[in-house]
Amino acid sequence: MSEPSPTAEEAVGAGESWIGRVKATTRALFSTRLDKSGGRIRLIALAMVAAYFGVAVKLVALGVSHDPPQTLKVAADQAVSGARPDLLDRNGAILATDVKTMSVFADPRLIVDKDEAVELITAVLPDVDAKELRERLASKKGFVWVKRQVTQKEREEIFHLGLPGVGFLPENKRVYPNGPLGAHVIGFVDKDNVGIAGMEKYLDQQSLTDPHVAGFTVDADALKPVRLSLDLKATHALRDALAIGMARYRAKAAAGAIMDVDTGEIIALESLPDFDPNNPGDVKDPEKINRVNVGVYEMGSTFKALSLAMALESGKVNLASRIDARDSLRYGHFTIHDFHATHRVLTVPEVFTHSSNIGAARMALMVGVEGHKAFLKKMGQLDRLRTELPESAEPLVPKRWSELNTMTIAFGQGLNVAPIQAMMAVAALVNGGELMAPTFLPRSEVEAATLAHRVVSAQTSESMRYLLRANATHGSAGLANIPGYYVGGKTGTADKIVHGHYSQDKVFTTFMAITPADKPKYLYLVMYDEPQGLPEDGGYHTAAYNAGRVTGELIQRVEPLEGRPPASQFPDQPFPLLARLGYGYDADKVGKE
Amino acid sequence: MWRFLHVVAIGALIASAAYVYSVKYQTIYASEQIVKVRHLIAKERDAISLLRAEYAHLIRPDRLQALADTQLDMQRLALNQVVKADDLPERPVKVDSIGRKLESLGLLGQSATPNAGLTGATPSLR
Repeated sequence: MSEPSPTAEEAVGAGESWIGRVKATTRALFSTRLDKSGGRIRLIALAMVAAYFGVAVKLVALGVSHDPPQTLKVAADQAVSGARPDLLDRNGAILATDVKTMSVFADPRLIVDKDEAVELITAVLPDVDAKELRERLASKKGFVWVKRQVTQKEREEIFHLGLPGVGFLPENKRVYPNGPLGAHVIGFVDKDNVGIAGMEKYLDQQSLTDPHVAGFTVDADALKPVRLSLDLKATHALRDALAIGMARYRAKAAAGAIMDVDTGEIIALESLPDFDPNNPGDVKDPEKINRVNVGVYEMGSTFKALSLAMALESGKVNLASRIDARDSLRYGHFTIHDFHATHRVLTVPEVFTHSSNIGAARMALMVGVEGHKAFLKKMGQLDRLRTELPESAEPLVPKRWSELNTMTIAFGQGLNVAPIQAMMAVAALVNGGELMAPTFLPRSEVEAATLAHRVVSAQTSESMRYLLRANATHGSAGLANIPGYYVGGKTGTADKIVHGHYSQDKVFTTFMAITPADKPKYLYLVMYDEPQGLPEDGGYHTAAYNAGRVTGELIQRVEPLEGRPPASQFPDQPFPLLARLGYGYDADKVGKE
Repeated sequence: MWRFLHVVAIGALIASAAYVYSVKYQTIYASEQIVKVRHLIAKERDAISLLRAEYAHLIRPDRLQALADTQLDMQRLALNQVVKADDLPERPVKVDSIGRKLESLGLLGQSATPNAGLTGATPSLR
């Protein structure tokens, strides 16, 4: 160590008091004398309080601020349409799929001259509204869409504009390659690929896809395709047949469905007029609703199937019973007439094949009001039927249910149900007596058996098949009795209510058919709203001539598609239980020998 | 001796450092390649899904029906076109129709055609 120089010594001498003070302060700062501790602790506590206050203020500020500063990445992730699983039909044909498209976005903060940008962009994309775009670009957000889903050519032109702050993002666009086929079942999505109707909405409700879970886009590979119960070819045949019939009979609307009676699967469902889910347009239009699920109608004579099944199931009536239909049935100041009046005593099969209102009403009266209500409740006709489709309708049930209500409901007036609900009931009546909710997803017979519950006995079910077959050979369903398919069917023609009265010339026709009647596989429903009679049919507009004929057409088209060609021979023993009871094939002879 | 060991140690250090760097850059290169291939796969997938959608659009039933109606002469399957195997006629006995015709014309026996052997073109079998 060297000796301090004289100059340094002088400096030390001169600033003795100053250095001493510094030394004293330093020593005091690091000394651990007890009398100083209290002040220090207070000082540290104060500092801590100040620091935590600062943190609290920042937290409140973050919590209160509405518009957190967005990075472009986060904004883009939230805005871009998420991927959705493909929808397939039961055979694997594509009903809905995603394709990648490019969308143009802008970051207004990076755009130098907004007016110039608007001018250039609208020159390339003429369908973008200039005023609206200017407003969007004037916003303080870091991310706005300019145009979603541009074409390749538009994309190149925008790219060559070289505007700073304008870029492209790949997006998923939902496409429906089959256009309007099955549109009411498939549904559609909005611009952000969120399902807003049909099975598309159902998928979102199942949270299979949540396209906008904060900042995390679903990988398309993780989205397994979803198979529906629909058959695309059968759906096309149904839509085509319905549309031809609708033009031919100049009807206001048409609808139809095909259901597998053993599993409750809907094979095809169409309602016309319909829409193209690629471009849904005005979907609020009440004319374009799904009439099978959302419409509620008086099903007319097709409802007699339920009334007869109820009477047979109650044991008060058997196939050979006789029902008096000689005179119109009076109740108070109401009179019930038959459309094809016979004025004689009818057997039970004749009540069905002649579609006797009087007979059906009398049979319902035998069961009584409470029994009738309980049976319809059991058949699911009085409650809202919910399927996978988000769209459903509440049946219109009379508030006060008198004997008159029972009489009219017995032949299909006074109770409005959704057609799919009526199909569910008829399917249960013919499949051996097992009721199960219809489904739009594939369902095996084993699954169906666990879901189903028995509503009528096997014998009643066989009687219903017998009656439906008899109606095809002897009754009003003749036009649908296509050789080789052993069809059974029932017509229904309901007068529409116009200004509170049943109209004579405006009708709502329905037709239900089963194939084959001895062991049904498919239940067909065809409905027409206000069909007109044709001169070659004698001007009749009843269900047999429109809905019935279209169903016949449909059976011929659909059955071979489903691998069920026509058979040249009748089944050997179509109705074994009834044969054992002594009823022959010829329903006209039942109860007469 | 120590100096030599130091040199060896320093050499080993430099060599291992060089090796580590090369491994690191190879890894970076490989991961870049992986990203590139992933992008290519994603691109191909998008292209495939686009083609599938296009194909589904082209084979939609209403288009096929319109084409079949104009291009093909097909009929609806009806009962009279369906035949059971039992209803098919028996397979006919195989007949040598040419031989029978020759016989009926009396040509099957010895003909008057001059023997080929006489022409000398082919050796006679007699």
